[in-house]
Amino acid sequence: MIVSTTGLTKRYGTHTALDGVDLAVPEGSVYGLVGPNGAGKTTLLALLAGLRKPTAGELTIAVAKRKVALLPDTPQFDPWLTGREVVELARGLMGVAADPDRVLADAGLADAADRRVGGYSRGMLQRLGLAATIVGEPEVLLLDEPASALDPAGRREVLDLIARMRGHATVILSSHILGDVQEVCDTVGVLRAGRLLFQGPIANLLVGRAVPAYRIKLRPPTDGVAAALRALPWVTGVEPDGPDTLRCNVSSLAEAESRLPGALAEAGARVVSLAPLAPDLEDVFLELTS
Amino acid sequence: MTLWRLEWLRLVRTRRLVAILAVYLFFGITGPFTVRYLGDILGRAGTGRIKFELPPPVPADGIAQFVGNASQIGLLVVVLVSASALAFDARREMAIFLRTRVDSVGRILVPALAVNTIAAVAGFVLGVAATWYETAVLIGAPPVGRMLIGLAYGVLFLAFAVATVAAVASVVRGTLAAAGVSLVALLVLAVLGNIGWLAHWVPTGLAGALGAIVRDADPVDYLPAVGVSIVLTGLLIWFATVMGSRREI
Repeated sequence: MIVSTTGLTKRYGTHTALDGVDLAVPEGSVYGLVGPNGAGKTTLLALLAGLRKPTAGELTIAVAKRKVALLPDTPQFDPWLTGREVVELARGLMGVAADPDRVLADAGLADAADRRVGGYSRGMLQRLGLAATIVGEPEVLLLDEPASALDPAGRREVLDLIARMRGHATVILSSHILGDVQEVCDTVGVLRAGRLLFQGPIANLLVGRAVPAYRIKLRPPTDGVAAALRALPWVTGVEPDGPDTLRCNVSSLAEAESRLPGALAEAGARVVSLAPLAPDLEDVFLELTS
Repeated sequence: MTLWRLEWLRLVRTRRLVAILAVYLFFGITGPFTVRYLGDILGRAGTGRIKFELPPPVPADGIAQFVGNASQIGLLVVVLVSASALAFDARREMAIFLRTRVDSVGRILVPALAVNTIAAVAGFVLGVAATWYETAVLIGAPPVGRMLIGLAYGVLFLAFAVATVAAVASVVRGTLAAAGVSLVALLVLAVLGNIGWLAHWVPTGLAGALGAIVRDADPVDYLPAVGVSIVLTGLLIWFATVMGSRREI
């Protein structure tokens, strides 16, 4: 493990922000830290970055402190610096030989490199923050909500950038956008009220939570189809799931795979789409944190 | 790009260097001028029924006029400008950018402290030079040796003032809070300087030393304040480094 904590606890007065967290981050992984507001994600990242000191517990990072970088959720820089100067300053402080122009181009800021940061949009600041972080060639990269301020195109670029870092650096990112976490992370930790409720590969989190159900989108009317399906012995329930869409719970997916198309045809249904319901991180997250 | 250049750019691009130089230069030019022509100005402002008779100005009057303004308005500007650089934890996101990229807070603190002290000293020297020239032209040449000693004492006081800002900024987080608390601390010291035996020991006494020494004060009388200022400046910088290292972001 490149990052590990044992019983990591942080208290602010009487408030316990982190309560005995045992974090284990494999080297080279992209680790997603998810949790509701106030779960302790930012505190945990600040502790890992050395910006705060733990109240109790142990924290081990198997690289030099200089090789641990933190990008806050809303990066800010002196507005009178240009984007290139920010990246050059970061490079100079880290004492590395990375090419600022290449890093700025990777962040999509090549055209704005010589503009003052005061004129940057929030999304550009986030990408500049990422560029200033990556230029230091960190071995552990801590990202606090890295895509929260970005438009869809910017978010896509940042996610691709993070995905490209897999194997080159260990990335720990916190995010409220669970789809992003599911897309780029291979390991996930679920925090709630300062406690780590789950930690491990995303596949392990989702396995065993598959629900035997189908989502069926139909041409209206749907009432007759729903009634016909309810009458079948291997259907355990049918509920509306959006406009002209039914959620059909079945006793087993295998049975549904062989019988559901025929049952729909017999009911006279005009099927637009038919797909098994796959569990996603959001469902599991809500289940764990509710 | 280094932190030294960052601090230089902060002064230049935000016009803070211009503000410091302009304030000291303005008082350097207007101080002796006001003293030289005060009688005429008051005479023209009067109604004719009141006659102003002032003693003929001497070089020390021109210098004292500059020192009086510079030690108040000039110091205010120096403290505000210094606080804007030394309160580097005022914005958490900007503090994260710097603090996660250096091994010790001293690496951030020293350039900010040094560059702002140099800027303050440059402004003060410029103002003294302007005062010297104006006084020599309008009133009479001040004694060179005494001017240089007073200048050195003033420079030491400015270094102490900037170190005070650094120490305060390591305890309070905001820029305005750092400037405000620093000014209050310097004001309290100035008040303490009015207490008999403390007068020659408090660093704020050095702020007005230039005017007094050019007039007739003995430079040796200020040596206790010089010693205290040097020691306190070192302690304040050490304090700022220690407290800055302990602070959580």
